[in-house]
Amino acid sequence: MTQPIAFLDGPWWPYLALFLFAVLPTGIWRWLAVAFARRLDETSPWLDWVRMVAASLLAGVAAKLTFFPPGALAQTPLALRLAALATAVAIVVLARRKVMLGVVLAQLVLIGGAWLAR
Amino acid sequence: MSEPARASWLRPALTGFRDAAMLPAWVVGLSLTGVGTLARDSGFPVEVAVLSTVIVWAGPSQVLFFASIATGAAWSAIAVAIAFASLRFLPLTVSLLPLLRRPGQGFGQQLLLSHYVAVTSWVEGMRRLPALPPEQRVPYYLGFGNALIAISALCTYVGFHLAGVVPTPVAAGLLFLSPIFFIASMSAGARGWPDGLAIALGFGLTPLANWLFGSGFDLVVGGVAGGTLAFLLKRLAAARGGAA
Repeated sequence: MTQPIAFLDGPWWPYLALFLFAVLPTGIWRWLAVAFARRLDETSPWLDWVRMVAASLLAGVAAKLTFFPPGALAQTPLALRLAALATAVAIVVLARRKVMLGVVLAQLVLIGGAWLAR
Repeated sequence: MSEPARASWLRPALTGFRDAAMLPAWVVGLSLTGVGTLARDSGFPVEVAVLSTVIVWAGPSQVLFFASIATGAAWSAIAVAIAFASLRFLPLTVSLLPLLRRPGQGFGQQLLLSHYVAVTSWVEGMRRLPALPPEQRVPYYLGFGNALIAISALCTYVGFHLAGVVPTPVAAGLLFLSPIFFIASMSAGARGWPDGLAIALGFGLTPLANWLFGSGFDLVVGGVAGGTLAFLLKRLAAARGGAA
């Protein structure tokens, strides 16, 4: 485990560490965005670009968890993880945007499949 | 605040709280149970785990923080990794805030609103906010965001104490809940083929970027490349007169 930094040492170091090394590097982007967003027009093409990059980034987060799975997820076959995602997309596209139904059925595919594959 | 003004804030706020508590908050919450587990593994008290959900409010950052500490990474490396993993909040926040913009809105309120920006609140906000009258959007969004954080904090607490009790397939399902939810709700909120393309490209290019550049920059490279490519194709199609 990473050692406490000397000047942070003491009973409060977990809180200080959380603030300095998690809250600051996460929050800084939200704060910068506030500074940027004030000068933006809602209909500008730049905003459309930013929105599409954000959607793409999030799909990338999903892809990372699919292709480089952590912990227990690594014990399921890749095909099963892809099948679960495909189920979610198919339900949402075919069943008139029913997100909850898509999530539940995708989970059934993954957990059911993982159970059978044990 | 006058009575009618308070009522006009309260109703959308409660609607937002309820809409989040119906499903999305539990989805995020379930994905944050793992953070509680990780925090315990790396020797942190339950208070820090729960506090991280409330004040960091970013699953990947929290996972990176607690998981890196357990493996003995340097503090500077942890902060840099978290900064990269959190870059997504810049475009997310920049694209969400205009939907919440009100006449005379102060810097402080925008900072407050920006704190609630996370993947789920963005996806849900982009989908639900445009349908609301502009004056109801801020209270709705705050109600929604507070429900997300409150329920997730509860789940982090439960996760801290639940570690290792559930069978493997269920644990796998919990870990995969967030990606399924992102993909499902983004597909539901997609406006036309360019949005679908942006999602598909991000999903395909990020693993490629990981293979090419390693795991520090893959999200940024894959996301910017995928989103930009989809955007350019949309502009090209529009210039040629195709509907997008």
